Amino acid sequence: MVQINFARREVNCKIVYYGPGLSGKTTNLEIVHQKAPTGSKGKMTSIATEGDRTLFFDFLPLDLGEVAGMRTKFQLYTVPGQVYYNSTRKLVLQGADGVVFVADSNPAKMVENLESLNNLVENMIAHGMDPFETPFVLQYNKRDLPGALSVDDLNTKMNKWKLPTYEAVAVKGEGVLATLKGISKLVLERLNRDYVKSATASTAPLIKGGTPSMGTPVSGGAAPAAPRPGQPQPAARPPQPVARPPQAQPAARAPQPAARPPQPAARPPQPQFTPQQRPAAPPPPAHAPPPPAPAKSEGCFGMILVAATTAMLAAACLVAAVLSGTN
Amino acid sequence: MREADERLRNSRLVFYKEDIDKIDKMLEEMLRLSKAKCALLIDKDGHLVTKSGGSSSYDTDTIAALVAGSFAATKEMARILGEEEFSVLFHQGKKDNIHLTLVGNRTLLAIIFDDKTTVGMVRLYSNEVTKKMVTVFTDASKKTGPKQAMDTGYSSAAQNKVDEFFKD
Repeated sequence: MVQINFARREVNCKIVYYGPGLSGKTTNLEIVHQKAPTGSKGKMTSIATEGDRTLFFDFLPLDLGEVAGMRTKFQLYTVPGQVYYNSTRKLVLQGADGVVFVADSNPAKMVENLESLNNLVENMIAHGMDPFETPFVLQYNKRDLPGALSVDDLNTKMNKWKLPTYEAVAVKGEGVLATLKGISKLVLERLNRDYVKSATASTAPLIKGGTPSMGTPVSGGAAPAAPRPGQPQPAARPPQPVARPPQAQPAARAPQPAARPPQPAARPPQPQFTPQQRPAAPPPPAHAPPPPAPAKSEGCFGMILVAATTAMLAAACLVAAVLSGTN
Repeated sequence: MREADERLRNSRLVFYKEDIDKIDKMLEEMLRLSKAKCALLIDKDGHLVTKSGGSSSYDTDTIAALVAGSFAATKEMARILGEEEFSVLFHQGKKDNIHLTLVGNRTLLAIIFDDKTTVGMVRLYSNEVTKKMVTVFTDASKKTGPKQAMDTGYSSAAQNKVDEFFKD
Protein backbone atom coordinates (compact mmCIF):
# COMPACT_ATOMS: atom_id res chain seq x y z
CA MET A 1 0.00 0.00 0.00
CA VAL A 2 1.13 3.54 -0.63
CA GLN A 3 3.30 4.91 2.14
CA ILE A 4 3.01 8.65 2.71
CA ASN A 5 5.85 9.72 4.96
CA PHE A 6 5.66 13.35 6.04
CA ALA A 7 8.78 13.01 8.15
CA ARG A 8 10.92 12.06 5.16
CA ARG A 9 8.70 14.01 2.73
CA GLU A 10 8.26 10.87 0.63
CA VAL A 11 5.55 8.98 -1.19
CA ASN A 12 6.40 5.31 -1.83
CA CYS A 13 4.41 3.12 -4.19
CA LYS A 14 4.83 -0.57 -4.98
CA ILE A 15 4.25 -1.92 -8.49
CA VAL A 16 4.32 -5.66 -9.12
CA TYR A 17 4.91 -7.36 -12.47
CA TYR A 18 2.95 -10.60 -12.58
CA GLY A 19 2.60 -13.26 -15.26
CA PRO A 20 3.50 -16.78 -16.30
CA GLY A 21 7.05 -18.07 -16.31
CA LEU A 22 9.30 -16.70 -19.06
CA SER A 23 6.76 -14.11 -20.17
CA GLY A 24 9.30 -11.30 -19.77
CA LYS A 25 8.75 -9.79 -16.32
CA THR A 26 12.41 -9.67 -15.38
CA THR A 27 13.28 -8.38 -18.85
CA ASN A 28 10.85 -5.50 -18.30
CA LEU A 29 12.70 -4.51 -15.15
CA GLU A 30 16.08 -4.86 -16.83
CA ILE A 31 14.99 -2.54 -19.62
CA VAL A 32 13.58 -0.01 -17.16
CA HIS A 33 16.89 -0.19 -15.32
CA GLN A 34 18.78 0.46 -18.57
CA LYS A 35 16.58 3.31 -19.69
CA ALA A 36 15.85 5.14 -16.45
CA PRO A 37 17.89 8.30 -16.00
CA THR A 38 21.06 7.80 -13.99
CA GLY A 39 20.59 9.09 -10.50
CA SER A 40 16.92 8.19 -10.50
CA LYS A 41 17.36 4.46 -10.29
CA GLY A 42 18.72 2.26 -7.57
CA LYS A 43 20.49 -1.03 -7.96
CA MET A 44 18.46 -3.83 -9.50
CA THR A 45 18.42 -6.82 -7.19
CA SER A 46 17.41 -10.30 -8.28
CA ILE A 47 16.86 -13.27 -6.06
CA ALA A 48 17.19 -15.90 -8.73
CA THR A 49 18.17 -19.52 -9.13
CA GLU A 50 21.50 -20.49 -10.65
CA GLY A 51 19.63 -20.90 -13.91
CA ASP A 52 18.63 -17.21 -13.70
CA ARG A 53 14.98 -17.98 -13.07
CA THR A 54 13.38 -15.70 -10.51
CA LEU A 55 13.25 -17.48 -7.16
CA PHE A 56 11.73 -14.83 -4.93
CA PHE A 57 11.60 -11.47 -6.67
CA ASP A 58 13.49 -8.89 -8.69
CA PHE A 59 13.53 -5.43 -7.20
CA LEU A 60 14.23 -2.05 -8.73
CA PRO A 61 13.73 1.24 -6.90
CA LEU A 62 12.97 4.31 -9.01
CA ASP A 63 13.02 7.86 -7.75
CA LEU A 64 10.88 10.27 -9.74
CA GLY A 65 12.26 13.18 -7.79
CA GLU A 66 10.45 15.87 -5.89
CA VAL A 67 6.80 16.40 -6.71
CA ALA A 68 5.01 19.23 -4.92
CA GLY A 69 7.40 18.95 -2.03
CA MET A 70 7.21 15.18 -1.72
CA ARG A 71 9.89 12.89 -3.09
CA THR A 72 7.98 10.28 -5.08
CA LYS A 73 9.39 6.79 -5.40
CA PHE A 74 8.27 3.64 -7.13
CA GLN A 75 9.47 0.24 -6.12
CA LEU A 76 9.17 -2.29 -8.92
CA TYR A 77 8.97 -5.99 -8.15
CA THR A 78 8.56 -9.08 -10.27
CA VAL A 79 7.16 -12.35 -9.00
CA PRO A 80 8.49 -15.81 -9.86
CA GLY A 81 6.29 -17.03 -12.68
CA GLN A 82 6.63 -20.76 -12.24
CA VAL A 83 3.55 -22.48 -10.83
CA TYR A 84 5.63 -24.11 -8.09
CA TYR A 85 6.41 -20.76 -6.45
CA ASN A 86 2.89 -19.62 -5.66
CA SER A 87 3.63 -19.05 -1.98
CA THR A 88 6.47 -16.64 -2.75
CA ARG A 89 4.46 -15.03 -5.55
CA LYS A 90 1.72 -14.31 -3.08
CA LEU A 91 4.17 -12.77 -0.61
CA VAL A 92 5.55 -10.38 -3.22
CA LEU A 93 2.07 -9.32 -4.29
CA GLN A 94 1.22 -8.24 -0.76
CA GLY A 95 0.87 -4.49 -0.46
CA ALA A 96 1.01 -3.84 -4.21
CA ASP A 97 -0.38 -0.48 -5.29
CA GLY A 98 -0.45 -1.42 -8.96
CA VAL A 99 -0.12 -4.58 -11.02
CA VAL A 100 1.24 -5.15 -14.52
CA PHE A 101 0.26 -8.51 -15.94
CA VAL A 102 2.84 -9.54 -18.55
CA ALA A 103 1.25 -11.98 -21.00
CA ASP A 104 3.06 -14.00 -23.64
CA SER A 105 1.65 -13.48 -27.14
CA ASN A 106 2.65 -16.98 -28.21
CA PRO A 107 -0.57 -18.94 -28.88
CA ALA A 108 0.97 -21.99 -27.19
CA LYS A 109 1.26 -20.00 -23.96
CA MET A 110 -2.37 -18.95 -23.73
CA VAL A 111 -3.29 -21.61 -21.17
CA GLU A 112 -0.40 -20.50 -18.97
CA ASN A 113 -1.44 -16.87 -19.37
CA LEU A 114 -4.96 -17.63 -18.24
CA GLU A 115 -3.83 -19.82 -15.35
CA SER A 116 -1.52 -17.09 -14.15
CA LEU A 117 -4.21 -14.44 -14.52
CA ASN A 118 -6.60 -16.54 -12.45
CA ASN A 119 -3.87 -17.11 -9.91
CA LEU A 120 -3.25 -13.35 -9.72
CA VAL A 121 -6.90 -12.65 -8.99
CA GLU A 122 -7.02 -15.42 -6.39
CA ASN A 123 -3.96 -14.00 -4.65
CA MET A 124 -5.27 -10.45 -4.81
CA ILE A 125 -8.49 -11.51 -3.15
CA ALA A 126 -6.56 -13.53 -0.58
CA HIS A 127 -4.73 -10.31 0.36
CA GLY A 128 -7.96 -8.35 0.56
CA MET A 129 -7.12 -6.39 -2.59
CA ASP A 130 -10.05 -5.51 -4.77
CA PRO A 131 -9.29 -6.45 -8.38
CA PHE A 132 -11.87 -3.85 -9.39
CA GLU A 133 -10.10 -1.06 -7.64
CA THR A 134 -6.43 -1.90 -7.81
CA PRO A 135 -4.65 -0.17 -10.69
CA PHE A 136 -4.09 -2.95 -13.17
CA VAL A 137 -2.82 -3.08 -16.77
CA LEU A 138 -2.04 -5.84 -19.24
CA GLN A 139 1.11 -5.99 -21.31
CA TYR A 140 1.02 -8.21 -24.39
CA ASN A 141 4.68 -9.07 -24.71
CA LYS A 142 6.65 -10.79 -27.46
CA ARG A 143 4.67 -9.11 -30.23
CA ASP A 144 7.50 -9.89 -32.66
CA LEU A 145 7.00 -13.65 -32.46
CA PRO A 146 5.99 -15.23 -35.74
CA GLY A 147 2.42 -16.41 -35.30
CA ALA A 148 1.80 -14.22 -32.29
CA LEU A 149 -1.87 -13.94 -31.42
CA SER A 150 -3.50 -10.75 -32.61
CA VAL A 151 -4.34 -8.10 -30.07
CA ASP A 152 -8.03 -8.70 -30.77
CA ASP A 153 -7.62 -12.39 -29.97
CA LEU A 154 -5.69 -11.62 -26.80
CA ASN A 155 -8.31 -9.11 -25.73
CA THR A 156 -11.08 -11.60 -26.38
CA LYS A 157 -9.37 -14.28 -24.35
CA MET A 158 -7.83 -12.26 -21.55
CA ASN A 159 -9.32 -8.81 -21.30
CA LYS A 160 -13.03 -8.96 -20.84
CA TRP A 161 -12.69 -6.20 -18.24
CA LYS A 162 -11.31 -3.70 -20.73
CA LEU A 163 -8.13 -3.01 -18.84
CA PRO A 164 -5.60 -0.74 -20.47
CA THR A 165 -3.33 -2.87 -22.64
CA TYR A 166 0.13 -2.33 -24.05
CA GLU A 167 1.95 -4.16 -26.78
CA ALA A 168 5.60 -4.80 -26.12
CA VAL A 169 8.73 -6.50 -27.29
CA ALA A 170 10.51 -6.29 -23.97
CA VAL A 171 13.81 -7.76 -25.17
CA LYS A 172 14.09 -4.87 -27.64
CA GLY A 173 12.87 -2.36 -25.09
CA GLU A 174 9.67 -1.62 -27.01
CA GLY A 175 6.58 -0.81 -24.99
CA VAL A 176 8.29 -1.26 -21.64
CA LEU A 177 8.36 2.36 -20.56
CA ALA A 178 4.89 2.98 -21.99
CA THR A 179 3.56 0.19 -19.78
CA LEU A 180 5.29 1.52 -16.69
CA LYS A 181 4.13 5.02 -17.44
CA GLY A 182 0.56 3.76 -17.76
CA ILE A 183 0.51 1.91 -14.46
CA SER A 184 2.34 4.74 -12.68
CA LYS A 185 -0.31 7.20 -13.72
CA LEU A 186 -3.10 4.91 -12.56
CA VAL A 187 -1.40 4.45 -9.18
CA LEU A 188 -0.98 8.19 -8.73
CA GLU A 189 -4.55 8.82 -9.83
CA ARG A 190 -5.82 6.41 -7.24
CA LEU A 191 -3.57 7.82 -4.57
CA ASN A 192 -4.89 11.28 -5.24
CA ARG A 193 -8.51 10.15 -5.32
CA ASP A 194 -8.26 8.22 -2.07
CA TYR A 195 -6.13 10.80 -0.38
CA VAL A 196 -8.48 13.64 -1.14
CA LYS A 197 -11.33 11.53 0.19
CA SER A 198 -9.52 10.60 3.36
CA ALA A 199 -8.48 14.19 3.95
CA THR A 200 -12.07 15.36 3.66
CA ALA A 201 -13.78 12.38 5.26
CA SER A 202 -11.67 11.88 8.33
CA THR A 203 -9.92 14.05 10.85
CA ALA A 204 -8.15 11.21 12.59
CA PRO A 205 -4.44 10.74 11.94
CA LEU A 206 -3.71 8.09 9.38
CA ILE A 207 -0.66 6.65 11.04
CA LYS A 208 -1.03 3.01 11.84
CA GLY A 209 1.16 0.96 14.05
CA GLY A 210 -1.17 -1.77 15.02
CA THR A 211 -3.98 -2.77 12.79
CA PRO A 212 -3.11 -4.77 9.74
CA SER A 213 -5.33 -4.16 6.80
CA MET A 214 -5.02 -4.22 3.10
CA GLY A 215 -6.83 -2.47 0.34
CA THR A 216 -10.39 -2.89 1.36
CA PRO A 217 -12.50 -1.58 -1.46
CA VAL A 218 -12.89 2.11 -1.64
CA SER A 219 -15.61 3.73 -3.62
CA GLY A 220 -14.88 5.99 -6.51
CA GLY A 221 -12.59 3.82 -8.57
CA ALA A 222 -12.80 3.31 -12.24
CA ALA A 223 -15.09 0.44 -13.02
CA PRO A 224 -14.19 -1.89 -15.81
CA ALA A 225 -16.77 -2.54 -18.44
CA ALA A 226 -17.10 -6.16 -17.48
CA PRO A 227 -16.51 -7.83 -14.15
CA ARG A 228 -13.04 -9.03 -13.43
CA PRO A 229 -12.75 -12.62 -12.45
CA GLY A 230 -13.57 -13.38 -8.90
CA GLN A 231 -15.91 -10.46 -8.56
CA PRO A 232 -19.59 -10.98 -8.29
CA GLN A 233 -21.67 -9.01 -10.68
CA PRO A 234 -23.55 -6.59 -8.50
CA ALA A 235 -27.26 -6.85 -8.77
CA ALA A 236 -27.78 -3.17 -9.20
CA ARG A 237 -24.70 -2.08 -10.99
CA PRO A 238 -24.61 1.56 -11.87
CA PRO A 239 -24.38 2.37 -15.52
CA GLN A 240 -20.84 1.98 -16.75
CA PRO A 241 -19.08 4.85 -18.37
CA VAL A 242 -20.44 4.76 -21.87
CA ALA A 243 -17.21 5.34 -23.61
CA ARG A 244 -14.27 3.79 -21.95
CA PRO A 245 -11.22 5.31 -23.51
CA PRO A 246 -9.57 3.37 -26.25
CA GLN A 247 -7.03 0.91 -25.04
CA ALA A 248 -3.44 1.83 -24.87
CA GLN A 249 -1.56 0.87 -27.90
CA PRO A 250 1.91 -0.30 -28.73
CA ALA A 251 4.86 1.91 -28.25
CA ALA A 252 4.58 2.94 -31.87
CA ARG A 253 1.15 4.40 -31.39
CA ALA A 254 0.31 7.45 -29.43
CA PRO A 255 0.89 6.93 -25.72
CA GLN A 256 -2.35 6.19 -24.11
CA PRO A 257 -3.03 5.75 -20.53
CA ALA A 258 -3.81 9.10 -20.59
CA ALA A 259 -6.00 6.12 -21.48
CA ARG A 260 -8.02 6.39 -18.35
CA PRO A 261 -10.10 9.48 -18.51
CA PRO A 262 -9.50 12.17 -15.96
CA GLN A 263 -11.63 11.20 -13.02
CA PRO A 264 -14.70 13.33 -13.11
CA ALA A 265 -15.60 15.17 -9.98
CA ALA A 266 -19.08 13.70 -10.08
CA ARG A 267 -18.26 10.13 -10.73
CA PRO A 268 -21.08 7.63 -10.83
CA PRO A 269 -21.16 5.78 -7.55
CA GLN A 270 -19.30 2.52 -7.75
CA PRO A 271 -20.52 -0.70 -6.32
CA GLN A 272 -19.29 -1.49 -2.85
CA PHE A 273 -18.18 -5.01 -2.27
CA THR A 274 -18.01 -6.07 1.30
CA PRO A 275 -15.87 -9.02 2.24
CA GLN A 276 -19.06 -10.93 2.92
CA GLN A 277 -20.20 -10.43 -0.62
CA ARG A 278 -16.98 -11.69 -2.01
CA PRO A 279 -16.68 -15.30 -2.89
CA ALA A 280 -14.31 -17.23 -0.68
CA ALA A 281 -12.36 -18.13 -3.76
CA PRO A 282 -12.78 -16.55 -7.13
CA PRO A 283 -14.78 -18.58 -9.57
CA PRO A 284 -12.85 -18.99 -12.76
CA PRO A 285 -14.01 -16.68 -15.49
CA ALA A 286 -16.02 -18.28 -18.22
CA HIS A 287 -13.24 -17.90 -20.72
CA ALA A 288 -10.57 -19.44 -18.59
CA PRO A 289 -9.59 -23.04 -18.21
CA PRO A 290 -10.02 -24.57 -14.80
CA PRO A 291 -7.36 -23.36 -12.39
CA PRO A 292 -4.49 -25.71 -11.77
CA ALA A 293 -5.04 -28.34 -9.14
CA PRO A 294 -4.10 -26.84 -5.80
CA ALA A 295 -2.08 -29.90 -4.97
CA LYS A 296 0.50 -28.76 -7.50
CA SER A 297 1.36 -25.53 -5.80
CA GLU A 298 -0.18 -25.31 -2.40
CA GLY A 299 -1.16 -28.74 -1.34
CA CYS A 300 2.26 -29.79 -0.23
CA PHE A 301 3.41 -28.03 2.90
CA GLY A 302 6.86 -29.48 2.56
CA MET A 303 7.35 -27.90 -0.82
CA ILE A 304 6.15 -24.55 0.47
CA LEU A 305 8.45 -24.80 3.44
CA VAL A 306 11.41 -25.56 1.22
CA ALA A 307 10.51 -22.71 -1.13
CA ALA A 308 10.03 -20.23 1.71
CA THR A 309 13.25 -21.31 3.42
CA THR A 310 15.22 -21.04 0.21
CA ALA A 311 13.77 -17.64 -0.53
CA MET A 312 14.53 -16.39 2.96
CA LEU A 313 18.08 -17.68 2.85
CA ALA A 314 18.59 -16.10 -0.54
CA ALA A 315 17.26 -12.80 0.81
CA ALA A 316 19.55 -13.02 3.83
CA CYS A 317 22.53 -13.72 1.58
CA LEU A 318 21.66 -10.69 -0.52
CA VAL A 319 21.36 -8.46 2.53
CA ALA A 320 24.76 -9.71 3.64
CA ALA A 321 26.13 -9.04 0.18
CA VAL A 322 24.68 -5.53 0.20
CA LEU A 323 26.21 -4.87 3.59
CA SER A 324 29.60 -6.31 2.76
CA GLY A 325 29.62 -4.54 -0.61
CA THR A 326 29.24 -1.21 1.06
CA ASN A 327 31.72 -1.81 3.89
CA MET B 1 -19.46 6.81 7.41
CA ARG B 2 -17.20 5.72 10.24
CA GLU B 3 -16.65 2.41 8.49
CA ALA B 4 -15.73 4.20 5.28
CA ASP B 5 -13.26 6.38 7.15
CA GLU B 6 -11.71 3.31 8.71
CA ARG B 7 -11.30 1.72 5.30
CA LEU B 8 -9.60 4.82 3.98
CA ARG B 9 -7.24 4.96 6.94
CA ASN B 10 -6.32 1.34 6.50
CA SER B 11 -5.72 1.51 2.79
CA ARG B 12 -2.40 3.26 3.12
CA LEU B 13 0.33 3.97 5.59
CA VAL B 14 0.84 7.56 6.64
CA PHE B 15 3.60 8.62 8.99
CA TYR B 16 3.62 12.11 10.49
CA LYS B 17 6.67 14.10 11.39
CA GLU B 18 5.95 14.55 15.06
CA ASP B 19 5.64 10.80 15.60
CA ILE B 20 8.72 9.99 13.55
CA ASP B 21 10.71 12.62 15.47
CA LYS B 22 9.85 10.80 18.68
CA ILE B 23 10.84 7.48 17.15
CA ASP B 24 14.13 8.90 15.86
CA LYS B 25 15.05 9.99 19.38
CA MET B 26 14.21 6.55 20.74
CA LEU B 27 16.32 4.87 18.08
CA GLU B 28 19.28 7.17 18.74
CA GLU B 29 19.12 6.34 22.43
CA MET B 30 18.84 2.63 21.68
CA LEU B 31 21.90 2.80 19.40
CA ARG B 32 23.88 4.67 22.06
CA LEU B 33 23.08 2.10 24.73
CA SER B 34 23.42 -1.02 22.62
CA LYS B 35 26.46 0.21 20.63
CA ALA B 36 24.86 -1.02 17.41
CA LYS B 37 25.75 0.70 14.11
CA CYS B 38 22.41 1.68 12.72
CA ALA B 39 18.69 1.06 12.87
CA LEU B 40 16.13 1.02 10.07
CA LEU B 41 12.40 1.10 10.63
CA ILE B 42 10.69 -0.50 7.65
CA ASP B 43 7.06 -1.07 6.81
CA LYS B 44 5.96 -4.56 5.89
CA ASP B 45 5.69 -3.64 2.22
CA GLY B 46 9.41 -2.93 2.16
CA HIS B 47 9.40 0.88 2.31
CA LEU B 48 11.80 2.63 4.66
CA VAL B 49 10.01 4.62 7.39
CA THR B 50 13.02 6.14 9.13
CA LYS B 51 16.65 5.39 9.88
CA SER B 52 19.12 6.28 12.53
CA GLY B 53 22.86 5.87 12.97
CA GLY B 54 25.54 5.40 10.36
CA SER B 55 23.47 4.05 7.53
CA SER B 56 24.64 6.42 4.82
CA SER B 57 26.93 3.83 3.24
CA TYR B 58 24.16 1.26 2.90
CA ASP B 59 21.68 0.90 0.07
CA THR B 60 18.78 1.27 2.48
CA ASP B 61 16.04 0.92 -0.16
CA THR B 62 17.31 -2.51 -1.14
CA ILE B 63 17.91 -3.60 2.44
CA ALA B 64 14.35 -2.53 3.32
CA ALA B 65 12.86 -4.55 0.44
CA LEU B 66 14.93 -7.62 1.27
CA VAL B 67 14.19 -7.42 4.98
CA ALA B 68 10.46 -7.20 4.30
CA GLY B 69 10.67 -10.13 1.88
CA SER B 70 12.67 -12.18 4.34
CA PHE B 71 10.20 -11.46 7.11
CA ALA B 72 7.25 -12.32 4.91
CA ALA B 73 8.86 -15.64 3.99
CA THR B 74 9.42 -16.55 7.63
CA LYS B 75 5.85 -15.62 8.43
CA GLU B 76 4.73 -18.22 5.93
CA MET B 77 6.99 -20.79 7.55
CA ALA B 78 5.61 -19.88 10.96
CA ARG B 79 2.08 -20.32 9.68
CA ILE B 80 2.89 -23.80 8.42
CA LEU B 81 4.33 -24.68 11.81
CA GLY B 82 1.22 -23.37 13.53
CA GLU B 83 2.78 -20.13 14.80
CA GLU B 84 1.25 -16.75 14.01
CA GLU B 85 4.64 -15.37 13.05
CA PHE B 86 8.24 -15.30 14.22
CA SER B 87 8.63 -11.91 15.83
CA VAL B 88 12.44 -11.87 15.96
CA LEU B 89 14.99 -12.87 13.32
CA PHE B 90 18.75 -12.76 13.42
CA HIS B 91 21.20 -12.97 10.52
CA GLN B 92 24.81 -13.49 11.51
CA GLY B 93 27.69 -12.49 9.25
CA LYS B 94 31.47 -12.43 9.61
CA LYS B 95 31.58 -8.71 10.38
CA ASP B 96 28.06 -7.36 10.39
CA ASN B 97 24.87 -8.87 11.73
CA ILE B 98 21.23 -7.93 11.45
CA HIS B 99 18.65 -8.27 14.18
CA LEU B 100 15.03 -7.95 13.06
CA THR B 101 12.08 -7.31 15.33
CA LEU B 102 8.42 -6.92 14.54
CA VAL B 103 7.01 -3.59 15.77
CA GLY B 104 3.25 -3.70 16.08
CA ASN B 105 1.73 -5.38 13.07
CA ARG B 106 2.92 -3.22 10.26
CA THR B 107 6.53 -2.24 10.81
CA LEU B 108 9.86 -3.99 11.31
CA LEU B 109 12.96 -2.78 13.09
CA ALA B 110 16.28 -3.84 11.55
CA ILE B 111 19.34 -3.21 13.69
CA ILE B 112 22.76 -3.62 12.07
CA PHE B 113 25.65 -4.22 14.43
CA ASP B 114 29.20 -5.54 14.44
CA ASP B 115 31.59 -7.00 17.01
CA LYS B 116 31.57 -3.86 19.15
CA THR B 117 28.51 -5.28 20.85
CA THR B 118 26.69 -8.57 21.30
CA VAL B 119 23.42 -9.98 20.10
CA GLY B 120 22.23 -10.09 23.74
CA MET B 121 22.73 -6.36 24.20
CA VAL B 122 21.04 -5.62 20.92
CA ARG B 123 18.13 -7.88 21.75
CA LEU B 124 17.70 -6.31 25.18
CA TYR B 125 17.55 -2.74 23.93
CA SER B 126 15.60 -3.61 20.82
CA ASN B 127 12.87 -5.15 22.98
CA GLU B 128 12.69 -1.97 25.03
CA VAL B 129 12.55 0.40 22.10
CA THR B 130 10.01 -1.78 20.31
CA LYS B 131 7.58 -1.45 23.21
CA LYS B 132 8.04 2.32 23.25
CA MET B 133 7.46 2.57 19.50
CA VAL B 134 4.28 0.54 19.72
CA THR B 135 3.05 3.04 22.31
CA VAL B 136 3.83 5.93 19.96
CA PHE B 137 1.91 4.26 17.12
CA THR B 138 -1.01 3.41 19.37
CA ASP B 139 -1.22 6.96 20.75
CA ALA B 140 -0.97 8.40 17.27
CA SER B 141 -3.83 6.27 16.03
CA LYS B 142 -6.08 7.69 18.76
CA LYS B 143 -5.26 11.31 18.12
CA THR B 144 -7.64 13.57 16.31
CA GLY B 145 -7.16 17.04 14.97
CA PRO B 146 -5.50 18.75 12.09
CA LYS B 147 -3.12 16.66 10.07
CA GLN B 148 -0.30 17.39 7.76
CA ALA B 149 -1.56 17.34 4.23
CA MET B 150 -0.08 16.93 0.82
CA ASP B 151 -0.09 19.85 -1.52
CA THR B 152 -3.33 19.97 -3.52
CA GLY B 153 -1.27 20.30 -6.68
CA TYR B 154 0.43 16.98 -6.05
CA SER B 155 -1.63 14.95 -8.48
CA SER B 156 -1.19 17.09 -11.57
CA ALA B 157 2.47 17.71 -10.75
CA ALA B 158 2.99 13.96 -10.34
CA GLN B 159 1.33 13.18 -13.68
CA ASN B 160 3.58 15.74 -15.40
CA LYS B 161 6.60 14.27 -13.68
CA VAL B 162 5.69 10.79 -14.89
CA ASP B 163 5.37 12.09 -18.47
CA GLU B 164 8.76 13.68 -18.22
CA PHE B 165 10.41 10.70 -16.53
CA PHE B 166 9.18 8.07 -18.97
CA LYS B 167 9.89 9.92 -22.18
CA ASP B 168 10.96 7.23 -24.62
